[in-house]
Amino acid sequence: MATQKKHDWADDEDLEETTTTTTTDLPPPQKINNKDGSTTIIEYRINDLGQKVKTTRRVRYIVRREVLNPRVAERKTWAKFGDSANDGPGPAMDTTTVGENIIFRPSVNWRREAKDEANDPNAQAMKDKLKDKKVKCRICNGEHFTARCPYKDTMAPIGEAGAADVAAGMGDEPSAAAAVGAAGPGKKGSYVPPALRAGAGAQGERMGGKYGERDDLATLRVTNVSEMAEEQELRDMFERFGRVTRVFLAKDRDTGLAKGFAFISYADRDDAVKACNKMDGFGFRHLILRVEFAKKAQ
Amino acid sequence: MRPILLAGHERALTQIKYNPDGDLIFSVSKDQIICVWFSHNGERLGTYRGHQGAIWTIDVDPTSTILASGSADNTIRLWDIKTGKCLKTWDFPTAVKRVEFNEDGTKLLGVTEKRMGHLGTIVVLDVKIDVEAEQTDEKALTIVCDESKATVAGWSYLSKYIIAGHEDGSISQYDGKTGDLIYNFPIHELNQPITDLQWSQDRTYFITASKDKTAKLVSAKDLEVLKTYTADTPLNSATITPNKDFVILGGGQAAMDVTTTAARQGKFEARFYHKIFEDEIGRVRGHFGPLNTVAADPTGKGYASGGEDGYVRVHHFDKGYYDFMYEVERERQNKLAAAGNA
Repeated sequence: MATQKKHDWADDEDLEETTTTTTTDLPPPQKINNKDGSTTIIEYRINDLGQKVKTTRRVRYIVRREVLNPRVAERKTWAKFGDSANDGPGPAMDTTTVGENIIFRPSVNWRREAKDEANDPNAQAMKDKLKDKKVKCRICNGEHFTARCPYKDTMAPIGEAGAADVAAGMGDEPSAAAAVGAAGPGKKGSYVPPALRAGAGAQGERMGGKYGERDDLATLRVTNVSEMAEEQELRDMFERFGRVTRVFLAKDRDTGLAKGFAFISYADRDDAVKACNKMDGFGFRHLILRVEFAKKAQ
Repeated sequence: MRPILLAGHERALTQIKYNPDGDLIFSVSKDQIICVWFSHNGERLGTYRGHQGAIWTIDVDPTSTILASGSADNTIRLWDIKTGKCLKTWDFPTAVKRVEFNEDGTKLLGVTEKRMGHLGTIVVLDVKIDVEAEQTDEKALTIVCDESKATVAGWSYLSKYIIAGHEDGSISQYDGKTGDLIYNFPIHELNQPITDLQWSQDRTYFITASKDKTAKLVSAKDLEVLKTYTADTPLNSATITPNKDFVILGGGQAAMDVTTTAARQGKFEARFYHKIFEDEIGRVRGHFGPLNTVAADPTGKGYASGGEDGYVRVHHFDKGYYDFMYEVERERQNKLAAAGNA
C-alpha cells in the first residue's frame, strides 16, 4: 500500500506548504512489524485546521500467486477508457459493490428444504392462533372494523365504562382484557408499555425460551480450531450429523484469522449429541478439536 | 458466495456476454452504453459510447479483439475492445435484435426486427478480426423470415447451420453458406416467442428459453429436443454451464406487471437445473426485477445475470456448487476411479 506516499489525498493541495510543514515539525512515519505477521503503519500529518493528526493503520500483506492465461494477464494491464478513463486502479466505488452473502448449495430436494424454512413453527403457531379470530366492531359488535361502523358517529362503543368489553371487542384474549382493566380502569385509550401488557410475560418468556433453548440444547462449543479454518469448512464437517442452523466462528477483527473457537447450532438436539460424540477429538488442520455442549452465557 | 453488483447501467439490461477466456464481461442495456468489466473483481475497464438507441445485443469475437453490438438505432457497430473506438457502422432499415460471431470470428450474423413494412431478416456480414482492417459494406447473405420473424439466432458448429428462434415458438435451421431453410419445427407453445438461444461449448447443441415457461435443449444437427426444463414463470434467458452439467434459467413475470406484486412472488431468481436429469436443484435470489439475461463464465467459475433493475450480478461459485453430484454420478465416478486403479 502507500509506503512511499507521504501525503494523503485529503491533504492540502498546495504541495509546497505541506511539504514544509511535514518535513519540519512532524515525526517521520513509522512501520512496525507485529508478531502476528501484520504491519502497523503510523503516519502524521497536519489537517486543514492546522491540527496534527496521527493515523495508525494495521495492514496485513498477503501474497497470493495465481497462474493466468497470458492473454488475460495482458488485458489486465490495459488502460481504462470511456466513462472509466478517470477511475483509479481497482474497482470504482460508484459502479462496483459487493453484495451480501448468498448461500447457494445445489441439492436435489432444495424445494423441500426451502419449504421447511417457510413453515417454521412460530409462524405456524401464530397462524393457528389467528385462525378462529374474527373482526368484531367495538360499537355494534358487527363483523367489521370499528372505523367502518355505520353507527360510528352516532353511538358510543358498548361497554365504554367496562374495559373488559372493549378489550374483548378488540379481539384480545379475556385475560388480556382483565389485565388491562386492572391496570387502569376507565383509562381505555391510555398507553400500556409492552412489558406490562397482558400476555407480554408469556411472549417474553417464549422469546427468551427460544434463545435459551438454542444455546442450551443444541449448540456445541468447538475449541482448539485452527486459525486458518473457515466457517464453510466447519459447516461442511458438522452438517454430516444433521441440519445446522447456525455456525459462528470467532475471528480476529484486524487479521481476519479465526480465534480458535466456534459455535455450531443444530436444529435437533439428537444431532448435536451425535456430533458432539463423533467430533470430539477429531483431527482438523493439524489440531485436535474439542467439542462440548455450550454453556449458558450467564 | 458473495455476488459482485455492477451498477454501470441506468436502465434494464438486455444482454451479457463473457469473452471466451472468461476474464471480461460485456453488458448492454437500454441506456445506450456498452460496459466492459473484469469478471474477477467487477472492475470496469471502460465504456463504448456511440449508439443512439437502446442496445439489444452484443457479441465478442473469439480472440477478444473486436466487439459487435446491435441496437434500436438500426445499426450494427464494431468496436475496438481495447480502446473503445467505434470501427464500423452498418445501417439497417429496422432495429437489430441479435448479433453473433461464428466460431472463427470471420462472419457475423444480425437479426433485424420486423417493422414499418420491412420483414424480419437474418443478415450475415463478413468481418475481419483486425482493428486496422477496412470492413466491407456488403452483406454476404440475407435470409428473409416471411412466416414469423426471428427473435434470436446463432451459428452452429463449423458455421454449418444458422439456427434461428422465432416469435411463434418455432426454431429453424438454415444452411450456413446458402441461407436455405432446411427445417422449421415448432418446439415451444404456439405464439410464445423464443427469448434466448445459447450454445454449448462445442456448438453441437443449444438451449432455448421461451415465454411459455420452458427451456429446451436442442441438438443443432437435426433440431431434436433433447431435454425440457419447466419453470413456473416466463423465461427470458437460459445458459449452459461448462464443466458441470447444469443449466441456468432466468426470467420472472413481465416487467409491466412487476409493480403490482411483491418481490417474493415475482420469481426474480436464477434457477439452476440439472442438464441431464431436468430437476431443479437450486435458486439464487438477488434481483429486484425479472432477469433479462444470464451468462455462464466459459471457464465454469461463475455466472452473471442482468435484470430489469439495471444491475449486473456476477457470481463466483463456491465449493458446494462444485461438489454437488447425483448419487448415480458419484457411483459412476467411483467405479471409473476403481477401474483406473485396477
